[in-house]
Parts: sequence; C-alpha cells; structure tokens
Amino acid sequence: MGGSAPLPGQPPRRPFLWFSGALRPMSGVMQKIALPVRPDLAAKAKDVGFTFANMHGEPYWDESSAYRFTLAQIEQDIEDPATQLHAMTREAVAAIVGSERLMARLGIPPEHFDLIADSWARNEPEIYGRMDLAYGGSGPAKLLEYNADTPTSLYESAAFQWQWLEDQIAAGHLPEGADQFNGIHEALVERFRDLFAPDTDIHFTAIPGNPEDYATVESMAWAAREAGMGAHYSDLDKIGASEGGQFLDAEGRVIGTLFKLYPWEDLLADDYARHIAGSGCLFLEPAWKAVVSNKGLLPVLWQMFPGHPNLLPAFFADDVADALVSGGRTAPDVARAFDMAAATLRRGHVVKPLFSREGAGISIVEAGEVSESSPAGDYDRHPRIVQAYHALPEFDGFRPVIGAWIAGHDCVGMGLREDRSRITQDLSRFKPHFIAD
Amino acid sequence: MRKRSRTVALTILGAAAFTVAGCREEQVEAQAFPDLASCQAAAAQGGLFTAAECDQAFAEAAALHVEAAPRYDSLEVCEEQHGAGNCGSEAQQAGGSGSIFMPLLAGYLIGSMLGRATAGQAAAQPMYRNAQGGYTNAARTTNFGSNTGRATVSGQQFTRPAATAGQAPMSRATAASRGGFGSTGSSPARSSGG
Repeated sequence: MGGSAPLPGQPPRRPFLWFSGALRPMSGVMQKIALPVRPDLAAKAKDVGFTFANMHGEPYWDESSAYRFTLAQIEQDIEDPATQLHAMTREAVAAIVGSERLMARLGIPPEHFDLIADSWARNEPEIYGRMDLAYGGSGPAKLLEYNADTPTSLYESAAFQWQWLEDQIAAGHLPEGADQFNGIHEALVERFRDLFAPDTDIHFTAIPGNPEDYATVESMAWAAREAGMGAHYSDLDKIGASEGGQFLDAEGRVIGTLFKLYPWEDLLADDYARHIAGSGCLFLEPAWKAVVSNKGLLPVLWQMFPGHPNLLPAFFADDVADALVSGGRTAPDVARAFDMAAATLRRGHVVKPLFSREGAGISIVEAGEVSESSPAGDYDRHPRIVQAYHALPEFDGFRPVIGAWIAGHDCVGMGLREDRSRITQDLSRFKPHFIAD
Repeated sequence: MRKRSRTVALTILGAAAFTVAGCREEQVEAQAFPDLASCQAAAAQGGLFTAAECDQAFAEAAALHVEAAPRYDSLEVCEEQHGAGNCGSEAQQAGGSGSIFMPLLAGYLIGSMLGRATAGQAAAQPMYRNAQGGYTNAARTTNFGSNTGRATVSGQQFTRPAATAGQAPMSRATAASRGGFGSTGSSPARSSGG
C-alpha cells in the first residue's frame, strides 16, 4: 500500500548508511540514525488524516532521524520483560482489589470499590495498554509507568510508523530486511476476535475536539471492525442514560460494550458514575484498570517484587516522606524495603501524583533539591508516590522513552517519544524505529 | 520472524465518516396509513401491500402498541407530549391500569420487510400524535409530518421498540438524560490520554 514502490527509471537504490565503514554499528548499541525525510511526507500525512503530525507549531511526527535496535534488544530487553511486567501487574491488581486499604491508597473513592473489585472478579478483559520504559540499548529496561487505561499515540505507533518503514525500505534508505516491532494492529484484531462473537456491536467514545485522542479511538475501532465487530462512534458528551439506567449513544441505541478513551478516575467523578454498575455495559478498558493506570501501582509492584530488574524502587510518598526529607521514620511495613533503597532514593527520586498524564505535576529531586519539575495542571489534588530516579538515555540532546504496547496480555509493538526535557511531556516528538541486526 | 503487521489501518476518516462507515443503514420502502381501511383501499389499487398484509401489519402494530406505547402516570403529562384529546388510560387501551395513560394509536408505519423482519425488528410500527401536530413512533425517536404516504426510510425506523429496561444492545430507547459523562476531564485542549 501507499504507492511508494520505486518507479521504473528511478536511480538504483543506494546502499544504506551503516554499510560504510565509518558508520558500522557497534553490536548491541541502540542508535539514532539520520534518514531522509520522505519528500511527500506532508501530503501523505494530510491524505490519511494525520492532522496532528505538527502540534503547537512544532513537528510531533519527526522522521529526520530514527532509532535502530537489534532483534535481540527488542525481544530480550523490551518484548519479554514487558509481557512479564503485565503478568506481574495482574498479580498486583488481584492484591489491590482484594484490599480496601490499598484501594484507598490508590485514591479510589470508597463508593466505587465494589465496581472495581467486581470488574476484576468477572474477569472483564483488557484490550490494550502502553508501558513507558527507560532503555538505552543495554541493561534492563525500567518501568517508569503503565498507561493502561487511556494510552494514546496508537495511530502513530501502529499505522503511520509502519508506513514510514515500508516507504523507507521502498526508497532504499533502509535495507530490505529491516523490520519494526509493530504487530500492534494485527494483535488488536486478534484480541477482539478472541473476546467477542462476530457482529458484536461495540461503541467507541472520546471527548470531542481532540484529534489526537480521536485517532487512537478510530485506530482501535478499525481493529474491531476488521475482527468482524460492528463499530459505532459517539462523542462522550452525547452519551445518554435511559430511564432503566442503560447507556445510550447519540442516536438512542443501547450501548452494550463501550470503548472509552477517558480515564476511569474521571468517569468515576462524573454524574453518570452512578449508572455504571447497573448499566449492563461492558467497559473497555475495564474498571479494574483504574488501579493500573495509577502511579500507586508502582509501589505495590515494588513491594511484591522487590529488586526486580525491570522495576525501580517506589513508595507511597506518605510512607517515606519523613525518612527521605528529614531522616525520620518510614511506615513500619515498608521500613525494610526503604532501607535497601534509601541511598538510591536520596541520590535522586521522582515525585509523581497518583493520576497524572503527559508528564504533568512531576518533580525530580536530586540530593535533596528539586532539579526539575513540570507544571502540575489539575493533578495537584492527588496524593503522590516517589520512585527512584533513572536517567533516560540521551541522543543528540533528546531523551527517548520507549512505549511498549500491550495487546491482551502480551507486548506486541513499540513506539518512541523523545523530549529535550528530562520529563517527557505533551510537546515530545514521536520517533520511528526499525530493527536491523 | 517478522515483528510487524502485514496490514494496518492507515486512514483516519473522522467521526462523521466513521459513523457512516460503521453502520450504513439499510433502506426500507415504507408506507404509513392512518387506519386499516386506508391500507385496504390502497391494496385494492395495487399498492405496496396486499389486503392480507394489511391485516397482519395492523395486528402486529396493535400488539406492539399494547407492549411498547409510551406510558405516563397522568393524563396531563401524556397530553403534554401528544396533544389534548390524544391520550387514554391503559385500562381502556390495553387492559391495564386506570391510572396509567398512553397515547391513542394514530397510524401505522409498515415496512417492506413485512413477513421477513429480523430479530429486533418489527415491520409494523404504531404511530402516535406528537405535541407539534405531527406524528411520532413508540420510542419517540422520530417525528413524522403525516400518517399517510410512502417513502424510503432508514431500516432503523423498524427497530422493535422496547417497553422496559434490560434491553438488548442496539435496541432503541429514549434518553432520560444526556451529558453525564465528560465533565470531569473535559478541560479544553486537554487530551484524556497519555
């Protein structure tokens, strides 16, 4: 697809860059490689409706360079650990929903404990999530956080990045054998097919007027449709409730299954929260994702899997603030774990609100001083966690974060965003990647 | 082993196009009649339906009227919705309560799928007066200018209206309220994602 195959009469393909001696890669090193921007990039983005390729006057999609990985790096350092982290997360969810004390610590309103615990007990299925990992080409990738409820950048990761690779191979800028860790679309199709009977009607919703969110929702809907589902879109604010307490779309049709790109912590604070339990509607992602897409997951994971190579030490701020700031005591149940991590945390830690997206409200504290912070937005009201600071790798002044995509229970693809700042925020750039050994 | 998909969904169509692509509506030839006699008269002149189909359709619509007509707990509220003189008690019309009120049957919309309606469909729909002097259906999701005439309409017009809660997905219901989602996280320009 894409009409990008070389035409007869075009010059022969140039050998790709690192065949030349000077640029021969050292094996095992993740690289950032300059590549020609597709000459028809702007037209291509416009044709496919990728309207946010530029945002806030800056390029968001930036293909002037790309990250290169080896297959071993992808499979051993990203794919397998992320799949394992998801399994660990499921163990943590079981522990959290079984404990009212933990749910309270994760900021879940008590009136919704049952909704969340029931959605887990009913085994309501997860569709997707994106783990943000710090990884620089060697050593274990570290889980920074798990966007398991409303991850965006699905379109760029699953589709536009894929087309970029196909185009660059066709243009001879990447070798024929180059690949990409990007089975996202097919895995989502498979997931819908596994979970739902053919022709199941699934509604999709998002807050209107945000093209970025909408692109993620439509990408998901395409996967559902390819799996044989009926896919219907309604703006979130057009959803209604019937007298019987069922949710209705903008056209008055009962919603049986709803994929919502809108976080659970906001859903639970909305007026219609009171209808959710009795609506008979299956929500995707399910309610139990409220305790996953929640920074409170990180201290629970560290408590359950202390010292795991892909985890960073993490604690609820209330438990360790006195010990960290003034040499006081920690909460008794984390004293041992804190002692083991105290030196690391004092060297540098990150303070994050329980619910924060796009890097809002985050501070980096090094040797007792705040060395970097991002605007709090409206996340200031939430309790916080502390997590050991792990520096992102730096390439040409930019720091990439790996977004490892989970479909169902498995890691199936990857997208990178990079930022000049040490805190990846909403002005970060999406960077394509490829695999070549 | 290849690590990338063989195909992807590359185009973002936008909400309007998406909805159309998602549920392209079946179109249905339909005819409305104010009463059985007018249906029979049309049948005699070689209309869309035969006399036997008129009988069948009217029986179905009458049953649906009993099952799914809008119900109100006072005559006053019913007349607000359907106009003065257009309502009666459930006891009179459907053998039910004398303190529940329903609009009177004011016409029938018959679809060409009569006799082969699929699950969730009803090929003959009762019509009622609305408060604007026109007509509406049992679910009150559509207003009609008249209870006479022939047209091509959306297949959705023949979705079986349901009377109670616990309805199947994609069946039609009337919203008691709208807009209860989105207020918490809808600050302008903020993505809900991350």
